[in-house]
Order: sequence, then C-alpha cells, then structure tokens
Amino acid sequence: MAEIKLDVFRYDEGVDAVPHRDLVTVDLPETTTVLDALEAAKAQVDGSISFRRSCRSAICGSCSMNINGVTALACKTPCNTVMNEHGAISVDPMPNFQPMKDLVVHMDPFWDKYTRLKPYLQSADPDEDHERERRVSPDDMKKLVDVANCIMCATCYALCPVVSVDPAFAGPAAIAYAYRFIEDVRDDRRDQRIAQISEDYLWLCAHCYACSYCPKHVDPHDRIVDVKRAAIKDRVMMNERGPRHALVVSKTIKQTGMLAETEVIQGTVGRFNIVGLLKVAPLGLRMAAKGKLPPPFVKPIPKIDEVRTIFESLEVPVS
Amino acid sequence: MTTLLPEDRAVDSHARSKSAEMRKYGFFPGCVAKESCKELYNSTMLLADALGIELVELTAASCCGASVVNDTNRDIARVLNARTYAQAEALGLDDVITICSTCTGHMRAANKELLDKPEHLGQANAILGKFGAAYNGTVRVRHLLWLLIDDIGLDNLRKMVVRPLNGLKVAPFYGCHIIRPESVNGWESARNPHSLENVIAALGGEPVDYAGKTRCCGFHIQLEKENVAANMVGQNMRMARDNGAEAVITPCPLCHLALDGYQQDAAARWGRTDLPTFHLPQLVAFALGVPTDRLGLNKHLIDPRTIMVERDLIS
Repeated sequence: MAEIKLDVFRYDEGVDAVPHRDLVTVDLPETTTVLDALEAAKAQVDGSISFRRSCRSAICGSCSMNINGVTALACKTPCNTVMNEHGAISVDPMPNFQPMKDLVVHMDPFWDKYTRLKPYLQSADPDEDHERERRVSPDDMKKLVDVANCIMCATCYALCPVVSVDPAFAGPAAIAYAYRFIEDVRDDRRDQRIAQISEDYLWLCAHCYACSYCPKHVDPHDRIVDVKRAAIKDRVMMNERGPRHALVVSKTIKQTGMLAETEVIQGTVGRFNIVGLLKVAPLGLRMAAKGKLPPPFVKPIPKIDEVRTIFESLEVPVS
Repeated sequence: MTTLLPEDRAVDSHARSKSAEMRKYGFFPGCVAKESCKELYNSTMLLADALGIELVELTAASCCGASVVNDTNRDIARVLNARTYAQAEALGLDDVITICSTCTGHMRAANKELLDKPEHLGQANAILGKFGAAYNGTVRVRHLLWLLIDDIGLDNLRKMVVRPLNGLKVAPFYGCHIIRPESVNGWESARNPHSLENVIAALGGEPVDYAGKTRCCGFHIQLEKENVAANMVGQNMRMARDNGAEAVITPCPLCHLALDGYQQDAAARWGRTDLPTFHLPQLVAFALGVPTDRLGLNKHLIDPRTIMVERDLIS
C-alpha cells in the first residue's frame, strides 16, 4: 500500500469566482489507476469531488483529464507511473475546455464539431428500408478500423495547440472521424464531406503530432494527412491556401531540390493577392532589415535530374 | 535486394556508429539553414570545428519533404530521403546529422518506413537504380543535439566550456518533430525531454522549465490563417517569460523563424515577451569560445546581444 496524495482542481462554475485546490490522501496499492484513486477519494474523503467516468476500461472515453499536466485517461494511468517522490499527483480538467465542476468540463464545442460532420453513412442507395446488406471488402474495411477505435475521449482535442488559440479549428478527432466516412465505400457524400471539413480548417493542422498521445492509437495526424491527400486528389477547394501551399512546396522541390522559401510564400498567399502579400510584408521587411530574407531564387541542387526522376516515377496524375 | 534483418539495422538511436568512431558524419543542413537562417549553418560549421568533428555536407541532398510533401503524395518524400541516405552510404558514412527538428522527424520517419517494410525499400531502390544509386539501409538520422550528448558527452562538453553562461536563464524550445511521434524519434521522452536542459546546464546556464517547451511554434501554418501561428508563439513565450526566462534556445530553424519573427505580432494578445532566441549551435559555440561576431547574432530580429551584455557575457 502507498499513500497517494491527489492534488485536485476544485471549482463550481455556479458558485466559485476562482478555482482552488484540495489535497486528498488515500491509501491504495501504488499500481492502482488514477481513476480508482479518485473513486477512493470520493468514497472515503470528500463525496463532492466531481469527475466523469463510466467503464473504467478505456472504452467509454469519459475520464480524460490532465494528470500532472499531461492529458490522459485516468482509468489507463497507473499512479506509480505519474506520482512524484512524495506520492503526489495533480489532477486538473482537460485544457481547451471550459471547466464546469472540478474535473468535469463543458464538452459542447467538441460534440458540435463532431455533429457538423453528419457522422453517419449517407448513401445514394435507394434501398431506404435497409433490407439489403451492403458489403465492404476486407481491404476497404482495413482503412477504417483504426479510426473506428476512437472513443471520443477528446484527449487529442485537449492537447491540440491550434484549438488552444483558434477554437474554429475542427480539431484532430473530428477530422479523423471525417476520414472514417470519406473513405467508407458505402458513403456517397465524399466530396461534400471533404469540402465541409476543409471549411472547418482541415488545413490548419500544424503537423505537431500532439495528438500522437491518443490512448487508442487512432493516430489522428495521419488521418488528417489522408484527408488532405483526398482533398487534393478530388480537387476540392483547391484555391485555398492549404492545398496551394502543399502543391507549391512539391513544385519547388521538383524544380530545385530545395524548398524555395520565397516562391512558397508567394505561391501560397497568391502572387496577385496584393492584400495577402501586404499582410506578410511587415515581417518580410523586418527580416530584410537584418539581411535575413530568403533568396528570391534558389539554384537547383547538383544532380537535380535524379530528384525529377523520383517525382516523375511517383506522381499520380490528379483527376 | 538484400533483406535486412532487425539486428543488422543501424536504428538504435544511442548506439555508437562508424561515423562516431571516425568523428566524421554525413551532414544534412536542410533548406532553411541554407536560405533564411544562414547564421544557423555558419554557426554549426564553427561549432563542428570547436568540437573537433567533421561534418561532410551532403551537397546533392534534396529537401526532406518538410511534412508538406506528404500532404500530396505518400511515397515521394520517402524516396527523396532514400536518395540522401544513398549519398551518405556512398561516402562511407552511416550517420546523417541534422540541425532541424522537422528534418529530424521526417527523415527518421522515412528511414523507419524504408527499414521496416521491404516493399518500401524495394520501391525506393527501383527508382534510385534508374540513376545508378542504391540505399542499403545502413544509415541512421540524428540531430546535432543528440550527437552532442551521445558522442561528445555532457561531461566533456562541460570541460570544453571557456565562456560559461553565468546562470543565464534559458528556456528550451524543442520543436515538435525532434520528439514526436515517439515511435519515430524515441531518443528521449517526448512528454518530458531533458536533453536541451542538460546542454544549457553544461554550458553554465540555468534551464527554465515551462509547459510550452514541447509545444508547437505554429511555423507550418503561418501562411494558412492570420495570427494563429503568432498566437501559438505568444502563448508559449508568455509561459517562458512568466517562468523567468531571459532567452530561448531551439534546435530547429523553423521554430526559430516563428519565435524570433512573431513575438512582436503576438504582443497585442499575450503582452510583450521579446525573448531572444538562440539556435542551439550558436549558444554552444559561444560557450566554447567561438568569437561572438561570427555567430550571426546580428541576424536575429530580437537581438540576443542585449541580454548577453546585461549578463556580462559580452561587452
């Protein structure tokens, strides 16, 4: 048995002007989970401590919270992996959400973004009574099984740095779930779904891999990249900055072997987008004053033909 | 085609390579160190001299793909990187050293795919064969930061310091792709890394701990939507400033461009932070005695020399 000290964030939005913290001590085996320690604290010490939980087995996705500053499922985190030498574990509500009571947060923005996806199959199949079985080949299904493991725990959303500064971003889970329908052969609204998620800032993913801490190994980042590739393949909303950026980067590498910074900026913002270019100009001027502007043209690397051979061998013509 | 068995693969990040024995490494500077962050390239070469190692630049290497090429095609970046590794192998080098977090992560990811899946290595070599090149899977990719710790050693580094940092409070800023995803990097804990802190301490500085150290600088979306990247910079630099930082150090030139360039734009929402940002090799080279005027500190938008004068590091 060990003395586990939970340093708990306490707040009641209807009552408290500011949050405070309570230190609650429970005696439990140190291999117990943080969720079981919280359950013990609630049962034995203070019945008013609030947190969401249900399955206790990383299936329901309810108990995501910050444990020593790291967002994770409390039911999947053994105390001895997180407590410090004094046996203390701090627990806080998930970031990127408004706290409601103690560790319970308002989940609405997360669910709203999910609902916007119309997260159900939309088929043009006239079989309205669903009498007939719609079969999917194992290969087609294989693409969907990983993302279907998502338990909507919102760990990725809480960890996403883009969400933290711009709540308009759909966030990792919603884009991964969009992929689940975009790549489902039974669904007939692929391009509308790609357009919808593009409007919800698909291309604002910063490639930071914060969502790689997904407790269910859904790898939202890789699915976000899959949706981007689908957008380019189907040529959906190609005039947005995201797809333009992706294409101009590849173009400059094919031409010079290098990511030619100046051309990438112009190609992404738009060579004739005077307003857009003026907005990036102040930083450009500051850099120019320090002699730090990237060169206007980049000389091709030695053996550039080899790079072009690679591109030409692998480029898939877009439809 | 040689099929590589797991024990033949040079993938263990901490194992000693042939290059480490020779103190001679393949060097992949990446695009930004050759374009808008030339001061990073120059200070890296000066640091290599000070450390007594040889960095053999892979001059015909292409861009690593910078995470963006994957957005259009899942194969091109992998094969581009296989071409780079083939160049290192042709020079008899089994270590490719990077000076950019994004290069590190994406080149390691490509290498992992090439080594893990024979079909990927086969596909790459089929294309490389068109111009007489081949990749045998013997290369590993490491960041200069890891070389400093694994090959030079923190104790040796400490002994080489001639200009200690006088307790300068330096906040580490890792840059996502040198730590995440852990399945690709795995050199240290992605959630609680310590390498930069250890280097700062070895140089006589005081590392500043703050939650932003492993967060994203927003570089990859700075053109995507106005102010988002600037706000990510402001948020992180606010945390660093509030925890007492006087300067920042980063192993990534993309982070450097964002941190150095956007603090001014973020001030409206996050307050003024004005933290000067060092490229990793600049600060190490400084402590090892490389003349300050050769480090390109005058190229930074937030001039680090101001705090260096205040802390009696330079006059």
